[in-house]
Amino acid sequence: MEINPRDFREQSEKACHDATLRAVLDHATRYFQAKRGAALETFADRETHFARARAARLAALSRLPELLEQLEQTATAAGTRVHWAADAAQAREIITGIAQDCGAKVVVKGKSMVTEEIALNPALEAAGMEVWETDLGEFIVQLAGEPPSHIIAPCIHKSRADVAALFRAKLGLLGLSGLDGLPGQENLSDAASIPELTLLARKALREKFLAADLGVTGVNIAVAETGSVILVENEGNIRMSTTCPPVHVAVMSLEKVAATLEDAADILRVLPRSATGQKMSSYVSVLTGPRRPNEQDGARETHLVILDNGRSEVLAEPILREALLCFRCGACLNSCPVYQTIGGHAYGSVYSGPIGALLSSLLLPAQDTRDLPFGCTLCGACKRTCPLGIDHPRLMLRLRERVCQSSGTGLAGAAHSFLALHPLFYRLAVGAARAVDPNLDLLPRLPGFPGLANFVDTRQPPELKKPFSAQLLRLRKKQARTKKPHTNKGDA
Amino acid sequence: MRITLMIPCLVEDCLPEIGLAVVSVLERLGVGVDHPRVQTCCGQMAWKTGDVARARALALRSLELFAGPAPVVCPSGSCAKMLRTYPELFAPGTPDHARALDLAGRVFEFCEFVLSLPGAPDIGAEWNVRAALHRSCQMDGSDAPQRLLSAVRGLTLLEPERPERCCGFGGLFSLQFPAVSESLLEDKAHELLALDPEILVSAEPSCLMNISGYLARLGRPVRPLHAAQALDHGLDLGLQGALTGALTGGPTWR
Repeated sequence: MEINPRDFREQSEKACHDATLRAVLDHATRYFQAKRGAALETFADRETHFARARAARLAALSRLPELLEQLEQTATAAGTRVHWAADAAQAREIITGIAQDCGAKVVVKGKSMVTEEIALNPALEAAGMEVWETDLGEFIVQLAGEPPSHIIAPCIHKSRADVAALFRAKLGLLGLSGLDGLPGQENLSDAASIPELTLLARKALREKFLAADLGVTGVNIAVAETGSVILVENEGNIRMSTTCPPVHVAVMSLEKVAATLEDAADILRVLPRSATGQKMSSYVSVLTGPRRPNEQDGARETHLVILDNGRSEVLAEPILREALLCFRCGACLNSCPVYQTIGGHAYGSVYSGPIGALLSSLLLPAQDTRDLPFGCTLCGACKRTCPLGIDHPRLMLRLRERVCQSSGTGLAGAAHSFLALHPLFYRLAVGAARAVDPNLDLLPRLPGFPGLANFVDTRQPPELKKPFSAQLLRLRKKQARTKKPHTNKGDA
Repeated sequence: MRITLMIPCLVEDCLPEIGLAVVSVLERLGVGVDHPRVQTCCGQMAWKTGDVARARALALRSLELFAGPAPVVCPSGSCAKMLRTYPELFAPGTPDHARALDLAGRVFEFCEFVLSLPGAPDIGAEWNVRAALHRSCQMDGSDAPQRLLSAVRGLTLLEPERPERCCGFGGLFSLQFPAVSESLLEDKAHELLALDPEILVSAEPSCLMNISGYLARLGRPVRPLHAAQALDHGLDLGLQGALTGALTGGPTWR
């Protein structure tokens, strides 16, 4: 499935007409929001915890170069090999090189947005390796040949029946005779239960873990103080990806660093609550270097790839740098009425929803992303939800300014501003319109706004009436005659 | 006390009855109203399309129109918000920035202003009616409309399932992403209709236009009223109650 943010408008319009998708999204986003709300109730003082998490992220951004150097030293001291990748291509090259050096044939992956961002899987596959996503949701979208449609719930757009059909087609699976895991006689039915589907995926994936030569994961937090990589998850697949194969590669975008374990704790107190509505995720792995000589498990060789891919430039932008505070909890997606309606794929890039529109606009070529900041009503639901206080609407406006600087606002915008700046012409223009077309029947034919036809098709437009200022003048004259202190109600 | 009235362009030419209701309510509460002419556009349209230069030019016009120490009252959450955004358009330390800061500090959305008056939230309005409120995301979470309407005697205030959810208008958004806009509007309209209201109230004229236009096309027209119109009519009825009908006159929203 090829996606590109250039098609955002077209794709989002199309997604609206997919009733099944809308129903699935509606259910899933409400579920996430309800769980999150309940988890946040467990905070006696949520604002304090949010402020501490924000402070930890702000501290990281304000001292980024210094912290990254410290991270390199501490991680190296712990036995991890640290690699710097300026862009996606370099990151792919580094990771493919590590895989080739260890003779990898099978690669298992933990769920990671950053490896989606650098399009790692196709590169490894082109180098002749078998690559398996081991997060259940990622596994499902991988089988479907689709990108993830949500930051933390990659297959949020798929129903249970969709998944059953996919497993049947791609894995040739028979259903189970029961939840003991023994194969049944019948083909997997669309009505298969979620535990049954999960068990089937688990069985398929267990073999991949045992065969894997290399595990690749992302990074939730990298701790500069200790050189540790912290990973949060609920399925245990990330921990297995870091411990089953002999070699582990962790890939981080450079803003994911935290100065201290203390700061990491402040972040961890908020991240799972905001993401999945849990006080803490089922697994939190803190990995510091490879297996020591006296230890039973862990990778024998560990690598950390630190990716820039445009972020240093974003960091220099006064307003837009705030997007780098994001720790990918995905709460803004669930709260966004546009995301709730169109889902993640319409955005045409790895990151979707409010934060996705911002990150994609900042990280991808400008000519591909110009519609993204406009696909937003500026309602501010994202801002109200964000635990880190990111002001998404303000950033959207800044991005619109960039687009406008490069290509202008078009004729209609220019005409409107001209009239608004010249009150006499403005009044003449409105007066003429009122004389010719008081019911705005000609509105759909106004040049410059092709959407107007649709607008008046679905909504009765307002009429042009006798202006307020003229009516007020008349009222004032009448008041002067009668010397009544308040308006005469019959007048309006 | 005197205030300066800022009238949104949509109200000036399409919904003038909202402006008249604002004047009526304020004057009956003892507030003098000045309306400087000629008002056009606060620059919100330019600002939201990213045209900062034109937004700045329009902001300068507003700074002239609304100079002076009087509070500026506006019957639109989004226009009031735009006036509060002006300081971002000028470099800190410049005279224009100082003027913009001064203006931003004395801008009130209509409901916020009425709520600040002595006696509020109960201003003596009365109306036996089932009123569905659309809060409008442009109100930045202000609960002023809820508080004022709750204090209207006899009024049943109804709120939809997701009161803060956007109605899908978003200005230019509704033209650039028509199907998405319509989907959001459809959700909103159905949540509102489920309340079986007699009137639809909002403090944001553009949301009101968007939602009521859709309900009209659906053939389920619910009378759309700005909060000022609802309060104005409530004051009429309250007065009638107090003076046993001595001061009769049609409701101003008719």
